[in-house]
Amino acid sequence: MRWCRLFWYRSAEASRLRSLEFLARSIIKAVALLLYASAAAAQPATGVLNPPRSPRNANYTIDATLDARAHTISGSEVITWRNITMRPADDLEFHLYWNAWKHDRTTFMRERALGSGGANRAPAPDADRARIDVTSLVITSPVAANLTTQLHFIQPDDGNMDDETVMAAPLPQPIAPGGSVTIEVKWTAHIPRPVARTGVIGNYFFIAQWFPKLGVFQDRGWNCHQFHAHTEFFSDYGVYDVSLTVPQGWTLGATGVERERRDNPANRTTTHRYYQEDVHDFVWTTSPDYVERTARFDHSKLPAVDMRLLLQPEHAQQAERHFDATRATLKYYGEWFGPYPYGHITIIDPAYQSGAGGMEYPTLFTAGTRWLAPSDVSTPEGVTVHEAGHQFWYGIVGNNEFEDAWMDEGFNTFSTARTIAQMPRANHLAVRYFGGFIPWVFTEIPLARETEGNRLHPYRHDAKADEPSTPTYRYYPPTSGSITYNKTALWLNTLERWIGWPALQRIMQTHFERWKFKHPKPQDFFDATTDVLGRNIGWFFDQVYRSSNVFDYGVQDLSSSHEADQYRTTVVVRRYGEATFPVDVLVTFKNGDRVTERWDGRDRWKAYSYDKPSPALSAEVDPSRLLLLDVNVTNNSRTLEPKTSAAAAKWSLKWMVWLQDHLLSWAFFV
Amino acid sequence: MNGWREGMRRVNRAPLILAGVWLITLLVSLPLTLALRDAIADHLGASLAADRAAAGVDYDWMQEFGDVARGSMVTFKPTIIGFGAVLDNLSGFLDDTTRPIAIVGFASAYVGLWIFLAGGILDRYARDRATRAYGFFAACGVFFFRFVRLAVAQWIVYAFLFQSMHVWLFDRLYHNLILDVTVERTAFLIRLALYVVFGLVLAACNLIFDYAKVRAVVEDRRSALGAIVAALRFIGRNSAAAATLYLLNIALFLIVIGVYAVVAPGAGTAGPSMWAAFLIGQCYIAARLWVKLVFWGSATALFQERLAHAGYVARPEPVWPDSPAADAISF
Repeated sequence: MRWCRLFWYRSAEASRLRSLEFLARSIIKAVALLLYASAAAAQPATGVLNPPRSPRNANYTIDATLDARAHTISGSEVITWRNITMRPADDLEFHLYWNAWKHDRTTFMRERALGSGGANRAPAPDADRARIDVTSLVITSPVAANLTTQLHFIQPDDGNMDDETVMAAPLPQPIAPGGSVTIEVKWTAHIPRPVARTGVIGNYFFIAQWFPKLGVFQDRGWNCHQFHAHTEFFSDYGVYDVSLTVPQGWTLGATGVERERRDNPANRTTTHRYYQEDVHDFVWTTSPDYVERTARFDHSKLPAVDMRLLLQPEHAQQAERHFDATRATLKYYGEWFGPYPYGHITIIDPAYQSGAGGMEYPTLFTAGTRWLAPSDVSTPEGVTVHEAGHQFWYGIVGNNEFEDAWMDEGFNTFSTARTIAQMPRANHLAVRYFGGFIPWVFTEIPLARETEGNRLHPYRHDAKADEPSTPTYRYYPPTSGSITYNKTALWLNTLERWIGWPALQRIMQTHFERWKFKHPKPQDFFDATTDVLGRNIGWFFDQVYRSSNVFDYGVQDLSSSHEADQYRTTVVVRRYGEATFPVDVLVTFKNGDRVTERWDGRDRWKAYSYDKPSPALSAEVDPSRLLLLDVNVTNNSRTLEPKTSAAAAKWSLKWMVWLQDHLLSWAFFV
Repeated sequence: MNGWREGMRRVNRAPLILAGVWLITLLVSLPLTLALRDAIADHLGASLAADRAAAGVDYDWMQEFGDVARGSMVTFKPTIIGFGAVLDNLSGFLDDTTRPIAIVGFASAYVGLWIFLAGGILDRYARDRATRAYGFFAACGVFFFRFVRLAVAQWIVYAFLFQSMHVWLFDRLYHNLILDVTVERTAFLIRLALYVVFGLVLAACNLIFDYAKVRAVVEDRRSALGAIVAALRFIGRNSAAAATLYLLNIALFLIVIGVYAVVAPGAGTAGPSMWAAFLIGQCYIAARLWVKLVFWGSATALFQERLAHAGYVARPEPVWPDSPAADAISF
């Protein structure tokens, strides 16, 4: 906080001018937001965003038909793509995600099997696997050309020739910077049993990452990664106009707004047309079983949002919990980072066993709850806030999730925990018994935002697994979540505790504002940090982003000896981990005196000595726990009057009753 | 109902047996508990985390401890708090959860002690009069090897039930049944039905082995297989009474569990309240043991009511010879 004041307090005059300027800006912004909010409140969402928010250089008009019995989709699309880079494009590269689940030799399946002993394999029968086959690819503009026979698969990440998730097509002539191309693609696809959230089970269809989709053309060429087990999205923004034909009477939810619905009596189907501007993906789901609910988010300074919830019938009682969590997200993310601009959002409660619990797509996300969901447990709130939050960190700020997943998942995990903490509801530990169905709430264990919200426990386990600066798709798959989600959330929260929330909020808001509807890189966030703080804290990012070192500070020794009429107290603090961070050392004396030292934390150890009339009671390193990344908090303190025996006795007696009860289970067999 | 009441009366008239099995349960659990206490003390050291752990639940510390825990210590989780401990064990039993080898080892020793004591306990309940320590332990000794042979048969049956039937029911059939289920409640009801099926088979086996032990003791049977066949005959002829009695005992078990669900103490604090919580826990353990003994006492009473008469035991009470010391004195 001290540096913060120094930074802003340059001179009284400058401060006064800045205050006036800030006041004027705030008034203008508030008036604009009020006008915007009232205008939005008056009109239903249409999927139109005017003025355009993004370059809209990858636009899709799709027509797809679901065969619900055969579990197939036949589709055609017209893609209009504009080269917005400074180099000509010689070819086109497409994601064909569903080929990742074609067989067990794909990169996705190989990565998924790593660390799980191959247990997480796709279902063996061919009928349960997925595939996508492009049957035709034709360029219609600027020159007509049929490229179907020239299509081929490439493996830019690992050279795995069995992987067919990226398809390339050479262009008859390069597309110059600023030039456009129109592509017509036809394909068929087989829908798998649910895998990675996509697929069919019973009458529940969730269709994600389902159409041939262009990668992102950058100044270094195409950025079109293979489908990996733990990274998924990176696409350009555009306009999606999608017509979907599904069985008549089935409920359909999709990205965007439904503009048209037409029954086809001949084959008892209905065609739904959905439209959305300034998004980078399109997802849909259909089922005859959904229960539909609607509600609205209203806010004095943020645009209104129509919420549509498609629930499983057994969760119908939990509708308000979904809406409340979504409202909280739109409110807090909107206030902290920036407004949600689309005017509508669709929440999908996925079917049991659909494997779709919690996933983000533009203007639509899957939440996930349980049949028995106690009110003082954050299910479904946790996942709902997280996935709704991705509308901001992923949807609006579109970083490359293949390479820098921490920029959306980590930011969002941090923001989720912060939002959950603002919500006026209890959040306790619950453990599920009897096959994972019956929850038991431990009301004595509230889940703290700082540790549980940011998932310190799994991070601690995997702290050294990877350096976050490694491209995410190259993380060790079983532990990638700990680095992507948890480490990022922990260092962001550490940053918040260190520089204060107002400063961090300005950083994140600045980053959001600069990079909404664009593709930021990590350095862009670091630059926003420097710009807002007025100084470079690269050393911090060196520790948390460019290194897999762990933080572990502790009190090695504490002693007080009586010398003459004084007590000589010695404290030795130590850096056990490789990473460094400035920490406070608090020494408390028996007479209530407290001394706080600031240690830069760079040396391996530091000793402090005091001559006081009272002996020491305790010493703590990082007493206010700024450094949430510290992997061993127990060693952070030492006291001369420890209650170790009492604590050990209390907990071992508790465990003894558990053990005796367990022994009685065995006595059943006598 | 007569058998049930009579069984409870017989158990209540032999409180030392209840006290003895409670003490054994306590002693068997003591070594691992002391080991855990030392491990916790080592981990907490002289830190202030100990203050927090003593004052309530420091979940953060518990997780840190869990990360370095080995062996039986890995079971030290929040699930040991209050009624969660009971649910954890019940669920673990029905779901066949694997426990650390150290716990399995101590539990096996505990089962061995029960096998040794079973003869004495049933003999006491069958005679329905004080048998004194020498009578009790003489019966323990007489029936120990017979019950070891019976235990082999039991082990084969229960191993089959848990290693084959449980696997088939819950790892194969259950997964096949819910393969296309999209409603969690339906999946739970299917699992519940399978619990009932498995529980019925388990209870039937338990019932047979209980009566096999009762017949072995009351009729002084030497053959374990013969006792099992005799138990089957008895249950076949008195199926309604035996099943009703078993259900009543199950109800008793559920009542004990239910009461503990209400009174189970939470984490609490160190100091006197810690001992009060432990006392409540021990009352619950004693109640569970009492129910276990009522299963045996009521089965004995029912058997004697239907096929023998109260207090009838084929084997005569042991009469101990004079000791060499008495012989020496007579000179």
